[in-house]
Amino acid sequence: MRIFDPHIHMTSRTTDDYAALYASGVRALVEPAFWLGQPRTNVGSFIDYFDSLLGWERFRASQFGIRHHATIALNPKEANDPRCVPVLEEIPRYLAKEGVVAVGEIGFDSMTPAEDKAFIRQLELAAEFSLPALVHTPHREKLLGTRRTLDIIRDSPLAPSMVVVDHLNETNAGIVKDAGAWMGFSIYPDTKMDEKRLVAILHEYGTEKALVNSAADWGKSDPLKTASTAKAMLAGGFSESDVDRVLWQNPVDFYGQSGQLILDPIPGFDEAESGGAAATFEGNSLLRGARA
Amino acid sequence: MSTPSPLPFSIGYGTNGFTDHPLPDVLELLHELGYGAVALTLGHPHLDPYAPDLDARLGSLRSRLDELDLRVVIETGTRFLLNRKEKHRPALVDEEAAARVDFLLRAVDIAAALNAECVSFFSGILPPGASPESGWQRLETRVAEVLRHAAGKGVLLAIEPEPGMFVETVADALALRTRLGNPDGLGLTVDIGHCVVVEPDGVRGALLEAGPLLANVQLDDMRSAAHEHLPFGEGEVDVSLALATLAELNYRGVAAVELPRHSFDAPNLAARSMAVLQAAWREVQAGKAAEQWLQEGKARLAADPGALPGLFATAGRSVGRTPLRPDADPTGVLHGSVGDHVRGQLVRHLLDLMPPQELAETVLSLYDRGDSSERRGVLRGLGALAEAQPDLPAPVVAAGVQITADALRTNETGLVAAAAGPFAAAYLDQHNWRHAVLKLVFMGVSLTAVTDLQDRADDELARMAADFAAEREAAGRTVPDDVHLLLNRAATNLP
Repeated sequence: MRIFDPHIHMTSRTTDDYAALYASGVRALVEPAFWLGQPRTNVGSFIDYFDSLLGWERFRASQFGIRHHATIALNPKEANDPRCVPVLEEIPRYLAKEGVVAVGEIGFDSMTPAEDKAFIRQLELAAEFSLPALVHTPHREKLLGTRRTLDIIRDSPLAPSMVVVDHLNETNAGIVKDAGAWMGFSIYPDTKMDEKRLVAILHEYGTEKALVNSAADWGKSDPLKTASTAKAMLAGGFSESDVDRVLWQNPVDFYGQSGQLILDPIPGFDEAESGGAAATFEGNSLLRGARA
Repeated sequence: MSTPSPLPFSIGYGTNGFTDHPLPDVLELLHELGYGAVALTLGHPHLDPYAPDLDARLGSLRSRLDELDLRVVIETGTRFLLNRKEKHRPALVDEEAAARVDFLLRAVDIAAALNAECVSFFSGILPPGASPESGWQRLETRVAEVLRHAAGKGVLLAIEPEPGMFVETVADALALRTRLGNPDGLGLTVDIGHCVVVEPDGVRGALLEAGPLLANVQLDDMRSAAHEHLPFGEGEVDVSLALATLAELNYRGVAAVELPRHSFDAPNLAARSMAVLQAAWREVQAGKAAEQWLQEGKARLAADPGALPGLFATAGRSVGRTPLRPDADPTGVLHGSVGDHVRGQLVRHLLDLMPPQELAETVLSLYDRGDSSERRGVLRGLGALAEAQPDLPAPVVAAGVQITADALRTNETGLVAAAAGPFAAAYLDQHNWRHAVLKLVFMGVSLTAVTDLQDRADDELARMAADFAAEREAAGRTVPDDVHLLLNRAATNLP
């Protein structure tokens, strides 16, 4: 079983998680730029974070046989801090980078005028760079926030088929589907959505344009929720090909709209070493290195 | 990255490398392995040109070739077909050659029946005592006779220069053609292995010399010292260069693997040969895409210097991210990727475009604002600059040292390896250079990444390596081989 996690914050996770992800079938993932838990106080803090997503984190993932992609954005929460907002001027250059597959996470946290402004501007950037957008829906006021999100998308230059609206549940999945956007579901221990409820939602709304992610980060979360969802789907009457559609093909189709997905196998990656000391596969001897 | 184009010519395999298999099995195996052609050697064991039921055999063979979608060329190099004691006798340059001419006429008939691409033949070895002029006259008369017959049948002939034979080089074959009045029906067969033995300008030179007259190609490896057909990788032939040259010539015919002494391992070698040829073709395509990107990039920069960051960011999408030297470095850590390489070449080009201070600021900005692949590109570019000009201007050196130091602080193997190249060899101070080398060993990266290792390694580095080895041994861990290289080197330097 091959899995593509379309939303996971690996910066907050350990190498053991990478090894476990690989073992569970994850071969590719997308790490959206988001809040770090501790608020940022300046633009430079974003720059180092973005560089880390495209540098160190991608390298770390490659050591475990996983293709790492990123989305770049000013997140809704920090769009409210005037010290952070100027990062919007730096974002365009990141949107041209390899493996940047969307603008995100954008959207609403508290639905303030500042959030409106950053959201609208970044949807324009997505259209300008021909990139999809990953839209976060608020934890509070989710249904109202989702409605306003869809209104803003409707008025933006970006087609709804280029947008995933994430962290959906029973109350708002339908309106997202009707708007022609992709439905994102974050499977969490206890909170946002669990495997059983997700299976019921898939039975109701179908597997088309449905994305399932673990959204694992520094909070209570589980990077293996994609794999457990796959099992729950099989147990819940879906076929192997349905599982592949939701957990691989859909994310490939959605982010593939960026033209930036890199899915060829990582050169020289040896499966046998995925769980162990990672950085040794380059060949540590002159003789081995020189072998023609 | 654009989809690689398929090979413009057909890859075949010679049946003389499959003498332990019946012909139907050979054809099926080749088809299964992705071959698009077969070079069929007449005679034992596959197709007896004197068989009483030849016509029927040719009919069924033609339909089988159609079913398997295989093109065919006729080869006439059966060793003992005409003389059971002396191979390849009688030859066209012998005093008496009626049997050879008769055989070639028959080969033409067979080629016509099979709708083959051509009949390939060779001159043979001039017998002792015969003058070169008599050799030419014998060839002219006899080839002319076969040509007349072939013209009537609409069959193309292709003369193959062979090391040690009267017609030994492409130049000899062209001379014969001139003597015959440049007949349309006579082309050339070139064996790329032969080229490293006898052709003054090598594989590429010989293929270009044959040019539009190229009617048939044989593919194999060979060492320059001996006319012995070898599997790819065992000799000195640059297969990628040969394929690139054929593509450049717009060659559309058959290029068939020629391994007449390897029938014992034929299925395996046919599979391996196909893999090598496909990899070589991918390499050719990647090289072409890289060159094109570089030329277009230079043109865009000339028109708009502000295009640089955008160009730099998107290089990998245009030229690919595969390792630059996949055979020696399958992970691309030691020598970088194709994308790293073209970015480096673009940085090298900046030296011709801007004054030193601007170049220094530009490379710093490309590095600071780049992702890891762009940063590797800048580091490779610094190496290319150091190689292009022995004394780089001071601002460029200062920027390069700053960038190199930053890369060496990271734990990304690709960045550290790229930082240990020619620029570091030329400009990094000894302390930091030693730490770069030790860091590579520590990270398990081969020291082939280091430029001028032997020139700059010193006793202090040997001491550091010895301490590192002792620490690893104390922990019960293995010591990377390259540590021993550093230790050994120091030992040989002792007074």
